[in-house]
Amino acid sequence: MSQETTHAHHEHPDVVGSRNRLGVILIIVADVAMALSILFVYFYLKGQNVNNMWLPAATEEVPETVPVSSMGALYIAIISGFGMLLNRYALQGAKAKNQAQLTLGAMIAFAMSVIGLVYQIQQMNSAPFTMRMGAYASCYYLIAGLNALHLALTAFISLGNWNRARLGLYKTDHWHVEIIQVWWIWMTVSAALGAFALSFT
Amino acid sequence: MTTTMGRTASAGHSAKSPLIEKLNVFTAFGLGIILAVVFYVLAAKLIPEDTDAMLIHTKHDQIILLAMIGWFIGFMVGIGALIGPFRWLLGKDLSHDENMFYAGKDLGTKRYFRYTTDHKVVGIQYLVTTMIIFGVGGILAMLIRTNLGNPEGGWIHPQAYNAIVGIHGIIMIVGTIIMITGPFGNFVMPIMIGARDMAFPRLNALSFWLIVAAIPPILSSFFLGGIMTGWTAYEPLASESPAGMDGYIMFICIFAISTMVAGANITATVVRMRARGMTWNRTPIFIYGVVASVALALPAFPVFFLSQIMSAFDRAMGTTFYNPAGGGSGWLYENLFWLMGHPEVYVILLPAIGALMEMAPVFTRRPLFSFNVAVMGIAGICGLSALVWAHHMYMSGWAPLLNGPFMLTTELISIPTGMLFLVLVGTLWRGRLWLTVPMASIYALLWNFMVGGITGIYLSDVPADGALHGTMFVTAHFHYTLMGAGLTGAIASLSYWFPKMTGRMLDRRLSWVSFWMVQIGFNVAFMGMFLVGLAGQPRRVEAYNAMFNRGNMVTTAGAYVIMTGMLILLFAVVDSWRNGIKASDNPWFAKTLEWSVPTPVPLENFATLPVVTTDAYGYGKAKS
Repeated sequence: MSQETTHAHHEHPDVVGSRNRLGVILIIVADVAMALSILFVYFYLKGQNVNNMWLPAATEEVPETVPVSSMGALYIAIISGFGMLLNRYALQGAKAKNQAQLTLGAMIAFAMSVIGLVYQIQQMNSAPFTMRMGAYASCYYLIAGLNALHLALTAFISLGNWNRARLGLYKTDHWHVEIIQVWWIWMTVSAALGAFALSFT
Repeated sequence: MTTTMGRTASAGHSAKSPLIEKLNVFTAFGLGIILAVVFYVLAAKLIPEDTDAMLIHTKHDQIILLAMIGWFIGFMVGIGALIGPFRWLLGKDLSHDENMFYAGKDLGTKRYFRYTTDHKVVGIQYLVTTMIIFGVGGILAMLIRTNLGNPEGGWIHPQAYNAIVGIHGIIMIVGTIIMITGPFGNFVMPIMIGARDMAFPRLNALSFWLIVAAIPPILSSFFLGGIMTGWTAYEPLASESPAGMDGYIMFICIFAISTMVAGANITATVVRMRARGMTWNRTPIFIYGVVASVALALPAFPVFFLSQIMSAFDRAMGTTFYNPAGGGSGWLYENLFWLMGHPEVYVILLPAIGALMEMAPVFTRRPLFSFNVAVMGIAGICGLSALVWAHHMYMSGWAPLLNGPFMLTTELISIPTGMLFLVLVGTLWRGRLWLTVPMASIYALLWNFMVGGITGIYLSDVPADGALHGTMFVTAHFHYTLMGAGLTGAIASLSYWFPKMTGRMLDRRLSWVSFWMVQIGFNVAFMGMFLVGLAGQPRRVEAYNAMFNRGNMVTTAGAYVIMTGMLILLFAVVDSWRNGIKASDNPWFAKTLEWSVPTPVPLENFATLPVVTTDAYGYGKAKS
């Protein structure tokens, strides 16, 4: 069936990069399935409105659940979008062997992920309801929680990206930055999907 | 079982990275237990007490879940899973020597107890872990069957019986999911495609150790009130169950992460790392079975993961995803669960059938009958399996108008399944049969899967399901598919690849005795179960009407025969591994690449990578 060849033992960085890119895309596929499931949960419970408890009316003990504006979630998507563009700026720097552009882009992209994370946590803390107050409130925290988880992961990745850029580790190849760009794109899309869902109350 | 190479640079990396060398399974368990206790104590002190005004009391579940999260974090830190990511973050990538250390170079048996990245070590780790999981699940099965030996049940408390049924169910499902892709997908698959390792060796080790980390939470549920819901953990029943459900939730969440990681890794490996010349038409059919399985699992398990995260939130945070009093819905859970639950059946079956289709040409000395039909059958099953989930919900009252369409899609899936039968029968037809245990397993699969498949058609039929749902008929049906077909394929795989994995032949006489005992016992046990199910005996009950006694006695007797057969197989595996006849490099005279490398397999599999020039089934021209 086969014959032996004399392939070099070590692989070209582009081959490794291509494989790693596919791996990240496949993991994103799993994350997409989860994000779409969250949208399904949101619209299913909204559509069912079981016992009129999607947005419960006020009782003697508990105030009425007032939905939040979807603008907060949209701001998260916009911040993510800026982060994505900045990472792209860094990627262009890496391709052009411009170390200053690479480092600057990676640093500000990291800063955007931290700003997004802090803002998302602030939104969750200042929501005018608790997660016990009906199906909408539960779903709101689920979507916000996914955003926060994504942003925390992005902050970790972006910090590593910036540090590696700073140390000059992308001088010979830049597939790490390209892969991180794929993640940023999904992060932005995911935040936008969350904002889209929350615009239906 | 792999050879090791000279450790020329060990002094260097010892000085640089002592932490990597210190971490192993013992530090993982140690740190896991310590963090679990710390989290438990802190949570008990810091979380405010539940008040009478709260509709749902959550503190106990918060404490249990936090302790389990502590266990998980401690275990993963203790095994060394976080070293790679943090070294990447710091810009201090692992050196070649450190990567070789991770691959288990020169570590001997110690590498089986570490975060070892060599795919062959991971394969062996999966094999042993799967056997332990089946051992635990099997003991629970025998407890169930022994209790059902008489109509009054009685010697197991009903609550304990419920817990045993629930844990048996979920642990066996997980065992069957990993039983082929874990051991053989890891050990054999990269060699079979002509690769030196998996695409992401550290993720490979991660997927295995996540499963180890998941086992203590599920076993802890025995001591936390058990799993009272059966393996499906339907809501809102699960939210009202004791804290044992927290063990289930944690188990599923960790396992789902493992499955996602493994799915991405295996798919990337096959897509990107096949040997030069291995076109898709020359790729062995077993690879298709494995890739189809993980490709199905990749989008399916995140849905299951989410369903359990929401269960955890309902229990511990008071959210109302599934609680109708707060606007939630039990049907939501059922949808999310079965969106995973039915593709999961094929996640289990496809690698088993793929493995047997791989063996059929070897033991008939004929080409695989219609390779393209086999691929189309696998693809058809993958596509349709995502469109059948609601046949599990006919009687729940969810969307009655959709019953018809779901009945249709479910029955349509018999067509691609039939294509796989056709390929197997066509390959056997007029073949020069070499009657080995793997060969006999093909016949066993054809029979068992035919029974499981045809009874599945009855259950997919809405009127018939009205009478049969919730009975022992359903239990017998899915055991025929998952055990009769899936486990038969796994045991055949063990027998077939045992020589390559261990360097020894599996004891021929004992494996034949085991094969016949398991197959006869299995058919006796589950035919008896079909009969009592048809007569109306409900499932998940610890006592039953005396009219079902005879069928249950038959089933229990069959179960004891299976157990004896399995114990003989276990003895054969252990004894052959230690003292068996030494195997040649290619004892079956097969043509796939894994048989072209020496046994034991070198650390990097191939000294020089192969170039593939034909398919793996060139045993001569097929004669009709």
